[in-house]
Amino acid sequence: MKGAAAALACALAATAVLPSAPRADPARGAQLFQRCYACHSVVAGEDKLPGPNLRGVLGRRAGTLPGFRFSPAMIEAGAGGLVWNRQTLDAFLTDPERMVPGTEMGLPAGLPAPADRRDVIDYLEEAGR
Amino acid sequence: MRRWLIAVLVASTMGASAATAAEVSIRTYSVPAGGHPHDVAVGADGIVWYTAQRSGHLGRLDPSTGKVDLIALGAGAAPHGVIIGPDGAPWITEGGTNAIVRVDPQSREVRRWPLPEARGYANLNTLTFDKRGRVWFTGQNGIYGRLDPGTGDMQVWDAPRGRGPYGITTTPQGDVYYASLAGSHIARVDLDTGAATIIEPPTRDQGARRVWSDSKGRIWVSEWNSGNVSRYDPKANAWKTWRLPGEAPRTYAVYVDDRDQVWLSEWSANAVVRFDPEAEKFDVFPSDKKGSNVRQMLGRPGEVWAPESGADRLVVYRAK
Repeated sequence: MKGAAAALACALAATAVLPSAPRADPARGAQLFQRCYACHSVVAGEDKLPGPNLRGVLGRRAGTLPGFRFSPAMIEAGAGGLVWNRQTLDAFLTDPERMVPGTEMGLPAGLPAPADRRDVIDYLEEAGR
Repeated sequence: MRRWLIAVLVASTMGASAATAAEVSIRTYSVPAGGHPHDVAVGADGIVWYTAQRSGHLGRLDPSTGKVDLIALGAGAAPHGVIIGPDGAPWITEGGTNAIVRVDPQSREVRRWPLPEARGYANLNTLTFDKRGRVWFTGQNGIYGRLDPGTGDMQVWDAPRGRGPYGITTTPQGDVYYASLAGSHIARVDLDTGAATIIEPPTRDQGARRVWSDSKGRIWVSEWNSGNVSRYDPKANAWKTWRLPGEAPRTYAVYVDDRDQVWLSEWSANAVVRFDPEAEKFDVFPSDKKGSNVRQMLGRPGEVWAPESGADRLVVYRAK
């Protein structure tokens, strides 16, 4: 938990400018979400995928979606205070294992570009409304 | 960098078997940090190739020296699967750039066969050669396909239940099967028409992740959600299922060795598990690294290789 908390603190510091950054392109985010699509959905009720449903993920405490079996690492991170918001999602999509050591989530193709991550997060935010 | 380890824990459904575990030697090889090795393949010459998914490289390990070379696969690369083709070369499902890739083992030339653009991003996963020299592959976003390297002809089909196609294998008899993780089934592919026939495992929502064949053409399935390993016998059209040891196992990888011993990776125990189908007995080999995250296994007679994606190591299990 200490590791996750430290990583979270680093991530928040590194992304502290994000809230004032201009909103990007949710439509492009939908296209980029194809890199997440194999494991995640934003469609309500689509809950038998390898990863948790991401509809309404912003504001959710990590590791707490009812009915989904999270890794012990993700549950621990949530218990330690990790809540998904624009900053924490950005940090997680940058390097999942650095943010939550032991997470089961891989990031097959990665989202190394900040603009890509911003677009995906915009898409998730839109999908949660 | 190299260490000999002794298997320290043996679990069994039918009694402990420390003597059996003691017959296995384990040797680890560190690979460049940050690569997160996903899949591994060993050639007849003993050279080991692995996909450094995070850094976008193909890795080459010479186990006799421990030397590792990295071959860059280009901008945006995030390779997932690697196998050794009938030509002795490593073949890759290159998930980052949506292409099948061959790397020449001598010149290290990288040759690419991109998927048709109209197909979009497939999230390429795993590949296997049939007995006719064609390579079959899966894409988790809901496709499977076939490439004839001789002609360059590539066919891509929609998977019957959409997203999920993951592990794929060829039996000694030449049949091709794949597993659908999100679809919780396996499928047999018609080698001529490409049609996939779904075969339902007995456990509902089991999360069939990878498949491998034993010498008799029976299909072994690692079930991520259920924590089971199951076996499909095509001749009898019959299933048999075993649950791995532990309270809440997560079965990720499966590989059947030349003696028909079934090797699995189990994430809850952070371990590699060997299953003896005759004795119905499990031997558990925990990693000495936290969160080792073995996502695939592959071998050659006498040795089984496992990439520890969470520890940046390759591990080989050998019969003493």
